[in-house]
Amino acid sequence: MFRPHHTALLCALLWAPVPCLVSAQTSASGKTSALAADVASFAERAVSLAQSGRCKEALPLLKQAKLQAADRDLKRRIGFAGVRCAMFVQQPDAAEDFLRLLNRGFPHDPEVLYLSVHTYSDLASRAAADLAMTAPLSAQGHELHAESLETNGKWDEAAKEYRLVLEQNPHLAGIHFRLGRLLLSKSNPSPADAEEAKKEMQAELEIDPSNAGAEYVLGELAKQNQEWDKAIQHFSHAAKLDAGFGDAYVGWGGALVSLKKFSEAIPPLQTAVKLQSGNPAAHYLLAIAYSRTGRKEDGDREFAIQQKLTQKGAAGEPAESSQQSPN
Amino acid sequence: MAAAAPSPLYPFEEVPSALSGITWTHTNGKSAQKYLPETTGAGCAFLDYDGDGWMDIYFVNSGECDFYHPDPPLRNALYRNNRDGTFTDVTEKAGVAAGGFGQGVAVGDYDGDGFPDLYVTQYGRSILYHNNGDGTFTDVTEKAGVAAPGWSSSAVWFDYDNDGRLDLFVCRFVDFDKSKHLPCEADNKPGYCIPRLYKPMPSWLFHNNGDGTFTDVSRSSGIGKYLGKAWGVVATDINNDGRMDLFVANDTTANFLFANREGGRFDEIGAPAGVAYSEAGRPRSGMGVDSADFNQDGWMDLFVANIDHEMYSLYQNNHDETFDDQAGAMGIASATRLMSGWGLKFFDYDNDGNLDLFLSNGNPDDLIQVYHKDVEYQEPLLLFHGTGKSFENVSAQSGPVFTRNFSARGLAVGDFDNDGGVDVLISMNGGAPLLLRNNAGKLNHWLGLTLVGSKSNRDAVGVRVTYQAGDLKRSRMKTGGGSFLSSHDPRLVLGLGQRTKVDLLEVKWPGPSNAIERFTDLPIDRYITIVEGQGKWK
Repeated sequence: MFRPHHTALLCALLWAPVPCLVSAQTSASGKTSALAADVASFAERAVSLAQSGRCKEALPLLKQAKLQAADRDLKRRIGFAGVRCAMFVQQPDAAEDFLRLLNRGFPHDPEVLYLSVHTYSDLASRAAADLAMTAPLSAQGHELHAESLETNGKWDEAAKEYRLVLEQNPHLAGIHFRLGRLLLSKSNPSPADAEEAKKEMQAELEIDPSNAGAEYVLGELAKQNQEWDKAIQHFSHAAKLDAGFGDAYVGWGGALVSLKKFSEAIPPLQTAVKLQSGNPAAHYLLAIAYSRTGRKEDGDREFAIQQKLTQKGAAGEPAESSQQSPN
Repeated sequence: MAAAAPSPLYPFEEVPSALSGITWTHTNGKSAQKYLPETTGAGCAFLDYDGDGWMDIYFVNSGECDFYHPDPPLRNALYRNNRDGTFTDVTEKAGVAAGGFGQGVAVGDYDGDGFPDLYVTQYGRSILYHNNGDGTFTDVTEKAGVAAPGWSSSAVWFDYDNDGRLDLFVCRFVDFDKSKHLPCEADNKPGYCIPRLYKPMPSWLFHNNGDGTFTDVSRSSGIGKYLGKAWGVVATDINNDGRMDLFVANDTTANFLFANREGGRFDEIGAPAGVAYSEAGRPRSGMGVDSADFNQDGWMDLFVANIDHEMYSLYQNNHDETFDDQAGAMGIASATRLMSGWGLKFFDYDNDGNLDLFLSNGNPDDLIQVYHKDVEYQEPLLLFHGTGKSFENVSAQSGPVFTRNFSARGLAVGDFDNDGGVDVLISMNGGAPLLLRNNAGKLNHWLGLTLVGSKSNRDAVGVRVTYQAGDLKRSRMKTGGGSFLSSHDPRLVLGLGQRTKVDLLEVKWPGPSNAIERFTDLPIDRYITIVEGQGKWK
C-alpha cells in the first residue's frame, strides 16, 4: 500500500530531492494541507542548510523547493538563499534563475532590487576578470579596460586603450564613437576637443554609416557652433537611421526653431513628444513652434505639459545646477 | 637712466580704498548653519543724494535678523562724493544705516521733490528712506506702506500707469525664515541649499498715491498671482506701446515677463515670449537682468544671468512680444558656461556709440568644488564690447582687474568723476567693494544728459532719446533698475566716437505727456540738463 504521508516524511528526513516530493504530491489526494506542510518543512531545511553555509548540499534542495513552495515568505527566503548559494558555488545560471523568481514574485521589493544589483555586478566583475585573465590583449580586453577607465573619469588613459583597440582592428565599429564621446565627456571640453570629437564621429560613420549616435553628436556639435543647417542635416539623418531616437527629433526640431522655421519644426517635434512624452524640451520647443505659427491653443497645451513636467522634475529630480540637495 | 615705461591704459582700473577713502566692507555673516541669505547679498548704488551734480555711493550690508545677531551691529554706508576722486562716509548724519539683513537698494525720487529717495530691501522688512533735501533722510516705511515683509531682493522704481509718479516693484525671493531653514550638506560639510527646496512667493507692486503713501496693487495688477523666486528686475518697454513692462529673473522657477496692458493690468507672457526657460524647457537660476536695444533696431532686448552650466541669455526682440536667445551666436553662452552671474549692465563704456556689456560673477556655493572641479567659488569679471550688432569678449585685453576672481554680487554704473566715462561699482559678498574708474570713455566724445520729467515722472524712467552725430544715429531708453540689487547713475551718456558735433537730439518723454522735444546746437563732452516741456537745455 502506498502511504504518502510516510513517504513524504522519509523524503524530508533523508533530504531527498524531487522524486520523493513529486511522489508525495501526486499521491496526496485529500491530504493537501499535510503535504504542504511537508513541502514547507523540506524548504525550511533547504534554507537552513544554506544559512549555515552548506551551499553545496542546499542548492539542489533549494532548486526543488522553489518549484514547490507556495508560501510567499518562504518563496522569498528560498530565492535569497538560492542566489547566495548559487553565487557561492559558482553557478551563475542558477543564480539568475533565483533572481528571476524573486523579481517576478516580488517586483519593486527594495531588498530584491538590492540583491539584483550586487549579483549582476558580481557576475559582471567575474566575466571581466575572466576576460582580463584569458585575453587581456584582445580588442575586447582593451575595450573593457578603456570603459572602466572612462567610468572613473580617466579620459586620457581610456583614450589610449581605445586607440590600442583600433590598432588591432581599425575597422571595429563603435570605437571612434567612444573616442569622440570621451573627448566631449570632459568637464569643460575645449574647441580643439570638439573638433577632434567631430573627426572621430566622422571616422565612425565611415566605418558604420548606420551609427545614429554619431550622427546625433555631429548634430550637437554643429548646434554648439550655431551651424543650424548642418545640425538639421545630422539630426534628421540620425532620426532616419533610428526612428525611435527621440533626442534626434528634439535636436532636429530645435535647430529648425532656431532658424525660425517654425512650421517645418512641428512634424519632428510632434514625433519627439510621442517618443519622449516626459521630455520637457520636446514639449517646450513644440509649444514655441505652435505659438509662433498662430496655433495658440496647441501652444498653450504644450506649454502646460512642459510646465507640469518641469514642476514634477523640480520636486523629484536631482539638482541640475551645482547647488545642493538637503541631507 | 631709462625712463619707466608708461603703464598701459586699460579701459577700467581699480580705485583702491586708500585713494577713494571707501573703507566700508560687506559682512556676509556666514554661519556654520549656512543660512541662505548669507550668500546672496548685497547691492550698491550710485546716486546724487545732495544734488550737487556728483555721484555719491550707497552700500547695503547684512545685519540683525532672526538667524544673525552681529555684535557690534553692522550698517549700510552712504559715501558723499568729495568731487576730487575721494569719498566721505556720511551715513550717520544722513540716517541711512538701516541695520536689518540688507539685500538691495533702489533709488528714485518718488515724491518729485528733486532729491532721490532710497528704498532698501532686506530679509525681514524693507525700508523707504525719504530724502529731506538737507543731507538727511527719514524712514517713512510705515506711512508709505511699503515694508514688503519677507525676503525682498531687487526693487525698481518705474511709472507703470503713466500718471507721472514713480511706482515701486519689489522682488520677493523664497518663503524663508530661521524656522524654515533646511540643512543641506556636501562632502559631509554643511552647505547652502539650492533655492528649489524653498517655496516660491509672489512679488510686490505698489502704486504711488502721490501723497507719500502707496497702495499694494500686487493682486489687482495680476502680478501677485504668480509665484516666483525673484532676484533681478528691469523695467523696460518690450513692445513699444509706451507702457513699462517688467522682466523678472527667477531662481529655479520660470522667469517672468510682465507685459503691461491697459488699466494697470499685467499679463505674464514669459513662456510664449521665449524668455522663461532654457532651450531645454527647464527653469534656470536667473539672477541679474538688464534690458537695452543692443542692436539698434528700435526694440528693447533682454539679458539674464544664470548659474554655472546654465549659461546666460541675450534675448533679441522679434518685435512681436517674442524673443530669440542670441547668447550662443554672440559668444556669450560659451564665455559664461561655468559662471554664475549677478550684477550686470549694458552701457557704452568707450563712448563709441554702441552698447557694451559688463558682467560680475561669483558662485553662491562655497562648496562648489565638491561638485564641479572646473567651477570656482570666486570668478572673474567679464567685459563684452558691442559692435552695434553683436558682442566681442574683450575681458582678456582689458587689464589686470579682469584676471582676478571675486565673489561679486551687486553692480552699479555711474560717472563718479564726471569725465564722461561711465565707471563701475561692484559690491562683494563678504568683502570690500570694488570701484573701477573708466579710462576709455574720455578718449571719445560724448554728451551727458540729466533728464527731468515735469508731467512725466521726475526721474524720466521710460524716456527715449535719439541722437544723430554725422553718420551715427542711435537711440537709448532709460530703463528702470537692471543689474542685481543695485541702482545706477540716473544720467544718460551718449557716445559720439570721434565725431565732434551732435546734429540732433530727440527726447520722447514717457506718459502722461508722451511729448517729443528736439534739440540742436548742443555742446559735447559735458553734462546738460533738459527739463520736460521747457524746450531748452542748460
